[in-house]
Amino acid sequence: MPLDTSAYSLALLRVDGRRWNELRRIHAQIRTQAAADGSSYLEMGHTKVMCVVNGPSEPGPRRGATSGGGSGGGQSKNAEVAVNIVIAGFSSVDRKRRGRGDKHILELQSTISQALAASLHTHLFPHSTINISLHVLSQDGSLLAALINAATLACVDAGIPMTDYVAACTAGSTSTYAANDEGADPLLDMNHQEEQELPGLTVATLGDSDRVAVLVCESRVQVSRLEGMLAVGVDGCKQVREILDRVVREKGIKMIQEGTVERGVGLNDMELD
Amino acid sequence: MPREAEPSANEKAFLLKALQDEQIRLDGREFDQYRPLELTFGDEYGVANVSLGKTKILAKASAEVTVPFADRPLDGIFTIATELSPMAAPHFEVNRPTETEVLLSRLLEKTVRRSGALDTESLCLVAGQKCWSVRVDVHVLSHDGNLTDAACFAVVAALRHFRKPDTSMENGVLTVYTPAEREPVPLGWLHSPFCVTWSFFGDEGETALLDADWMEEQVRVASVTISLNRHGEICQIAKLGGVPVEAVALLQCTSVALTKVKEFSTYLDGKLAEDAKRRDKGGFMAELRAENDRIVG
Repeated sequence: MPLDTSAYSLALLRVDGRRWNELRRIHAQIRTQAAADGSSYLEMGHTKVMCVVNGPSEPGPRRGATSGGGSGGGQSKNAEVAVNIVIAGFSSVDRKRRGRGDKHILELQSTISQALAASLHTHLFPHSTINISLHVLSQDGSLLAALINAATLACVDAGIPMTDYVAACTAGSTSTYAANDEGADPLLDMNHQEEQELPGLTVATLGDSDRVAVLVCESRVQVSRLEGMLAVGVDGCKQVREILDRVVREKGIKMIQEGTVERGVGLNDMELD
Repeated sequence: MPREAEPSANEKAFLLKALQDEQIRLDGREFDQYRPLELTFGDEYGVANVSLGKTKILAKASAEVTVPFADRPLDGIFTIATELSPMAAPHFEVNRPTETEVLLSRLLEKTVRRSGALDTESLCLVAGQKCWSVRVDVHVLSHDGNLTDAACFAVVAALRHFRKPDTSMENGVLTVYTPAEREPVPLGWLHSPFCVTWSFFGDEGETALLDADWMEEQVRVASVTISLNRHGEICQIAKLGGVPVEAVALLQCTSVALTKVKEFSTYLDGKLAEDAKRRDKGGFMAELRAENDRIVG
């Protein structure tokens, strides 16, 4: 029989053996697709996502050239951030067919698009579109967080100017809403099983600050728990940001060493080890 | 595809300047003040007409007997259908959901359905064969901002006002009684969640307003919708992107939201009691009376 999350109070260990404040292993790569402007691959535990960014590019000739209408990029002063998410059928245990109009996916797309639009300097690219396409290969909780992190990395790789990293992670609370247990511990980075059984939320913050770009909570939880969960989540986002930053820097150093890119001006004194 | 008409640059600048320099909203409300909220019930059970300033929403609950889903034989079916028709604003089209509509229906879904406000198990009649399917249709009659809060209030009001026909099971025969035979019964209701939406203004989202109207919604840089019930349980929080806002400010927003939700809850309870009194014909004896209420000329 699998362990369930109620065993936490016995040893203060979670179902996968982590403590309350431990992230799962995050492994990330950037520039995985040579053809794209920017790309990334990210694993948070067993959640695996791939991201490809194309753009900013001006839209091609429209079908049925009746201009004047048309949504987004074409007319506006800011670049449009268009996000497309594909959840692979084999990504979770039960193979679920999701149509094109699935509201959950549409909501995720709009969230990611608006979160990144606030960090990317979209005003530099009027009348153009930044296409972000995300592929979910495997799901084990914290899906939205993984998608945001992957999209951020791919945008960095694409070289689109942005204020700072948008880093995301999830936080939960050890007891369900029914048990009005004041001593409930907050948990960092929930996996699928914890997401099913415990209340939780997804937070994304901008860079090092405490400023929250995305906050999504979809479960019932006492209002008094929110503060603890949010604090742990924001702290987790800072850890995630460090990890993402390290990935970008390591890739940069590697590219300089391989001679793929020129060493930039003022980087001569930088340690390349 | 028609696009939403944007307010002019002057209007936007005026609104922002008033807000940031003078701390005044265009309609003179306090930052944490709702527009006047009005609720009226229809003659039928389950019809709620909500107006929040110029935003008007009609919600109608209905029930029918159907076959439950195969994977949930013990649960009834509960759906919320939102429709933004061209009547509300010219850029809404029928059968082509805009982003507003998708997000609105997801929010209502998460707030009312996933938080378990309606006891769907009580809708089951015969396990795996017959159950009630409760459906709420949300019609936006007039759109002047803050559809979420108004729609959520309308849905909860309609469901709590709704009565479904009484049923009985005898020797494997299911009987559904007409309202004339037996008084209809209310739904199994567990808690009443309400949405409270904050809108943020300024470069860092430092100004927070409650109940933004359409004009303010066009200018805002971020928004967060918090759903709570009066017991202080969060049912859902959605800050879907937008300019980042300090975490502490979000916590403050939540605690103010809780007081607003308690006000909504009291207001709805009052209205429901008022309506019940209006419908009450004076109990069983009065209903059995043979005389009609004749107009004495």
